[in-house]
Amino acid sequence: MAGAGGFVEADNAEAIIARIETKSSKIESLLKQYKPVEALKTALEGSPPKTLDERCKSANWIVVHRALMAIKDIEGMLNALDVEYYDILMKYLYRGLSTGDRPTCDQCLKIHEKLTDRAGLGCILRCLTDTINTV
Amino acid sequence: MAVVDVHRFAESITCHAWSPDLSMVALCPNNNEVHIYKSSQDQWERLHVLEKHDQIVSGIDWSSKSNRIVTVSHDRNSYVWSLEGGEWVPTLVILRLNRAALCVQWSPKENKFAVGSGAKTVCICYYEQENNWWVSKLIRKRHESSVTSVAWHPNNILLATTSTDGKCRVFSTFIKGVDTKDPKAGSPAESKFGEQILQLDLSYSWAFGVKWSPSGNTLAYVGHSSMIYFVDDVGPSPLAQSVAFRDLPLRDVLFISEKMVIGVGYDSNPMVFAADDTGIWSFIRYIGEKKPESSGASYSSQFSEAFTKFYGQSKATTANEASESSKSREGVHDNCINAIVSLSKAGSPKVMRFSTSGLDGKIAIWDLENMEEELGHQF
Repeated sequence: MAGAGGFVEADNAEAIIARIETKSSKIESLLKQYKPVEALKTALEGSPPKTLDERCKSANWIVVHRALMAIKDIEGMLNALDVEYYDILMKYLYRGLSTGDRPTCDQCLKIHEKLTDRAGLGCILRCLTDTINTV
Repeated sequence: MAVVDVHRFAESITCHAWSPDLSMVALCPNNNEVHIYKSSQDQWERLHVLEKHDQIVSGIDWSSKSNRIVTVSHDRNSYVWSLEGGEWVPTLVILRLNRAALCVQWSPKENKFAVGSGAKTVCICYYEQENNWWVSKLIRKRHESSVTSVAWHPNNILLATTSTDGKCRVFSTFIKGVDTKDPKAGSPAESKFGEQILQLDLSYSWAFGVKWSPSGNTLAYVGHSSMIYFVDDVGPSPLAQSVAFRDLPLRDVLFISEKMVIGVGYDSNPMVFAADDTGIWSFIRYIGEKKPESSGASYSSQFSEAFTKFYGQSKATTANEASESSKSREGVHDNCINAIVSLSKAGSPKVMRFSTSGLDGKIAIWDLENMEEELGHQF
């Protein structure tokens, strides 16, 4: 498939990883303040879907995972999240489910159920068919 | 309810088309034949069986002025059928394809028809008087994968195509001797056959079902990722919008007015999209109102069973009572709707009636006569 809309090159990956690290520290502080919803929002924002670099994707996944596991009130979190983040969240949920790790999967399944209720099957479809912007 | 008539013709219907007076319908019952049914006093009677193709007939179109049927099939052939003395007589059209033909449409003036194929080409066929046969000209370039759908612009020259490479393209199909150059229209650059005017790269997944609005100003097509794309002011600087919606993907669309589109697909229930006064398109509603559920989840029993199993894996999940409250589908179609055909006069700005056919073998006729208020002022 043709790489439409320029993919970020390897040398920019360092910049992205640096950004992810700053994000990570911000999220840690938010979590300490018992604001898991804010943490997740920060983690999802600026997700680098257009990089081909696996390291960037893994780095961002670690950050998102940290925030996801801290969420206790799923309904509240979904209420606070903008509609445009549903698709990205769904992609991360599937990444979480693919890890096979029991606590991660439990959490992801719980969130998946509520998210599908809100966003519908179309959201799942968009994750499945989008092979260019993967997380 | 907007449904006027529903009838099950076969196990499954691939495509269908209506006669000029709308009394007869030609359909393919998922095999190599075309059946023509006539409706008389609430009964459907099969009048003709057109048997010439060797494989499934993937596209049928019936021209309204010249009363000819064109059929295309996976056997890489196309036939133009004319009614002579009560019998339909086929004329073979040599398309020069090495893969299946997937879709066909007569041009507005009915002097040409376009065929999309799995050979990544589009065939434009026109009638050559001197040799008394149909000639096919191929647009070979540009498409990177199968062409799933074709649609003619009202000016009889521009053709929009969608393909499984996710892109929608507009080509010029000007043929010397068949088309006349419009003196006041656009630049001569567009008048070269096979010239690509526009390529839209909005979708990441397969694209289907492209249609032009009645004036030819707007294009709509669907992507397999539950998205529908609208392009206003098709030309050098188009205005594209991608609308994501909740449910399963669509397969085909129809403009019922300049600002309103009906989409049909895997949800078996037509969806209405409209553009508001600022030109922003969005999903309005399903055509038949769904019964409001207690929880908001309105999936059929198959889905809820699957979901309960899926969520039951997690020890922490409590049984979700809400999702198993559904009964059998209340809609008209029980399976994917794969075609929507207008029943109004070609070229009219508003479509009041249309028909849908699907994998459940039913054709449903919908009338929007009393729905003007419900649909809103865009209709």
